[in-house]
Amino acid sequence: MKPQIKSSLNAGLTFGIVTLFLYLIGFTTTASQIIQNLLKLEPESKVLGMDALPFSFALFLGLIGLWAGARQARAMHKGQSVGVVLGSAVLTGLVHGLIVALVAYVTGSLNASGVKLNTYLSQLLPASVQLFLFDQPPATGAFLQLGFLTLTSFLGGALVYGLMASDIFGRLAAAWRSLWSRVNDLPAVAKFRASPAFNYVAYGLAAVFLLLLPLRAGQYWNYTLGTVGIYVLLGLGLNIVVGLAGLLNLGYVAFFAIGAYTVSLLTAPSPHGLVWDFWLVLPIGILAATLVGILLVVPVLRMRGDYLAIVTLGFGEIIRILSKSDALTWLTGGPKGVNNVGGPALFGRTFDDVGYLYLIFLSVLLAIFVTRRLQNSRVGRAWESMREDETVSRAMGINILRHKVLAFAIGAAFAGLGGVLFAARNQFTGPEDHNMMVSINVLSAVIVGGMGSIPGVIAGAFVLKGLPEILRELENYRVLAFAALLVVMMLVRPSGILPASRRKFEFQSGDESSNRGGEGSAK
Amino acid sequence: MAMLEVTNIHTYYGNIHALKGISLTVEQGEIVTLIGANGAGKTTTLSSICGLTKPRQGTITLEGRDLTPTRPHDIVSLGVSMVPEGRGIFARLTVAENLDLGAYSRTPNRQEAEKDLGEIFSLFPRLKERYRQVAGTLSGGEQQMLAMGRAIMAHPRLLLLDEPSMGLAPILVQSIFDIIKSINQRGTTILLVEQNALMALSIASRGYVLQSGQIVLSDTAHNLRENEMVQKAYLGAG
Ligand SMILES: Nc1ncnc2c1ncn2[C@@H]1O[C@H](COP(=O)(O)OP(=O)(O)OP(=O)(O)O)[C@@H](O)[C@H]1O
Ligand SMILES: [Mg+2]
Repeated sequence: MKPQIKSSLNAGLTFGIVTLFLYLIGFTTTASQIIQNLLKLEPESKVLGMDALPFSFALFLGLIGLWAGARQARAMHKGQSVGVVLGSAVLTGLVHGLIVALVAYVTGSLNASGVKLNTYLSQLLPASVQLFLFDQPPATGAFLQLGFLTLTSFLGGALVYGLMASDIFGRLAAAWRSLWSRVNDLPAVAKFRASPAFNYVAYGLAAVFLLLLPLRAGQYWNYTLGTVGIYVLLGLGLNIVVGLAGLLNLGYVAFFAIGAYTVSLLTAPSPHGLVWDFWLVLPIGILAATLVGILLVVPVLRMRGDYLAIVTLGFGEIIRILSKSDALTWLTGGPKGVNNVGGPALFGRTFDDVGYLYLIFLSVLLAIFVTRRLQNSRVGRAWESMREDETVSRAMGINILRHKVLAFAIGAAFAGLGGVLFAARNQFTGPEDHNMMVSINVLSAVIVGGMGSIPGVIAGAFVLKGLPEILRELENYRVLAFAALLVVMMLVRPSGILPASRRKFEFQSGDESSNRGGEGSAK
Repeated sequence: MAMLEVTNIHTYYGNIHALKGISLTVEQGEIVTLIGANGAGKTTTLSSICGLTKPRQGTITLEGRDLTPTRPHDIVSLGVSMVPEGRGIFARLTVAENLDLGAYSRTPNRQEAEKDLGEIFSLFPRLKERYRQVAGTLSGGEQQMLAMGRAIMAHPRLLLLDEPSMGLAPILVQSIFDIIKSINQRGTTILLVEQNALMALSIASRGYVLQSGQIVLSDTAHNLRENEMVQKAYLGAG
């Protein structure tokens, strides 16, 4: 068999299985409903002579068909004629359609003869089966499926072929580049860019944006942005520990908890009745987290890699369980947590959501400043060498113990600040605010964003904490869509969204560099 | 007073008795070589001198000063620096950053650093071309040069080299040994561990032969090359 045909059959089969899988888990129905909602179609209305829901389903199925054809055409595109490319797209669509139509026909007939399929597969409700057949009788529906998938696959193939052949994206990019360089070459622009004023203007614009944003965004988004900001803070701290110093700390939430509990217990009316001022407690919380960071790191100083990860993971859980324990309720408020945590006030006015967001922005800016200074200092260099090879960096004259303690302490301080802000904003803290998922989320933000890079951490926090809010439209499928997006992101940008420049290089240069890297660091 | 004096040291890895009473001396300005089979304890001897593995018994003195209680990073500041076995470059950092870390114990100012770099580049012109490159992407020979350059950045008075010729093409081995000789001529004392005994004995003034954690022979390089046992075991003769 010719390889082109084989590859088309393969693709058709794969897409057939995927579509059927979506059908069997009931996602085809859900997706149709989501599309219907997004298009704001009334259930009773008609579009192109079809009812709203079947029309939405056709859109969904059409997208899959387009995708299948486009993918196959892309895979085929190199060095093949139009006929082969389009032919393989059509063949993919035919195979895809045949598989889908067959199952649609069988399930449709069974359904029509009164067999209750949902006793076997809970999502195969009669309505779903009918929708899968565009609300037509089984034979008609199956033929529609076959024709529709073949047609869309052909369209997808044609689209991709057209785009590739005309090299639209390449030309657009080239046009943009030439425009950009022409603007840059204008004497006035060049002069402006070179002058220090450019930086001031850029920073100024950013500052104005950050100042105006909370005023415009509204309470809900201010809350979400605040959470993102706190995660940026945590991410920057963990980035120092893991990204720079290479110490895999999975119990990072512990320091967050210490900050949160410090502010809660010292400002809330119960259980201790110490209603101290927020501004006084803020540094105490940071300090407490830092001290605990130092205390924790001393026993684990000699551990490396996985062992360190396990011990810190356990430590995070210990803190949570202690905070939850009945025996310590007199101290921590127990499982119910602490209510009425005091917040900041200036000139007798307590902060509203806008004021809070400013405070969080300010803390993040401070953290960015500190991180940047550290990263480019001797200390940062020493951390990086420690991450690369601990033994050799000791032989270089680096005091490993001191630098490990320092990394843990600074990371803990950032987390402590995050915890203080978090608890004071929510006016509450409880054991479940500090479960393991916080550590995992922060670590994911650092990895997804790009380890070791400040813009990366910010992007990662937005993706991990902001994106789920944006995806709220998808309701029950939010987590699914979120996970899928994360997977896609890691496939498209394996070294993170905005990686540190060095890492970018490392992954782009592919096999060769990683081989040599391995050889260089072999012990 | 000898520059380095190792007296009867015993070093362990847990229960493994790796060095069983090693004694050796290195005089100011010398090249001394340490040869021996795999697992004889050559690397352990060097790391004991650096303080990375502390001997349980015996003393190590540098110009009369006892190094046994000194921590590794302080030993570097005292003027001992090592090119580790297998090079041990920081693969994900650039050549520039690797060299910079070599000078970590000294904190040179900008002028001094420029001067040091000039010196390194005159020894290893290749490193100049690769200055901004990530070290893991260098060739094996270039990585060896980098490891040596990095050690020199510490301005050592005693340089410990652990198998610098490992895995290099013969032509590169020759030039690495030439460089070792010229580093020595600039006033750095050298303790050289080598598998390539012939080469090592050709540039060293004296040598020690190590076997399962003990010194079995020590003599001038010339005599060792003539020695029947050395010829049989390490020079491939007989
Ligand atoms: N980290 C370690 N843990 C346990 N045993 C070790 C360790 N490092 C070395 N050894 C043991 O100590 C002995 C001496 O090892 P060493 O590395 O000093 O030998 P070497 O002379 O440098 O050998 P080679 O020429 O192969 O590099 C060996 O028996 C080795 O197995
Ligand atoms: Mg060795």
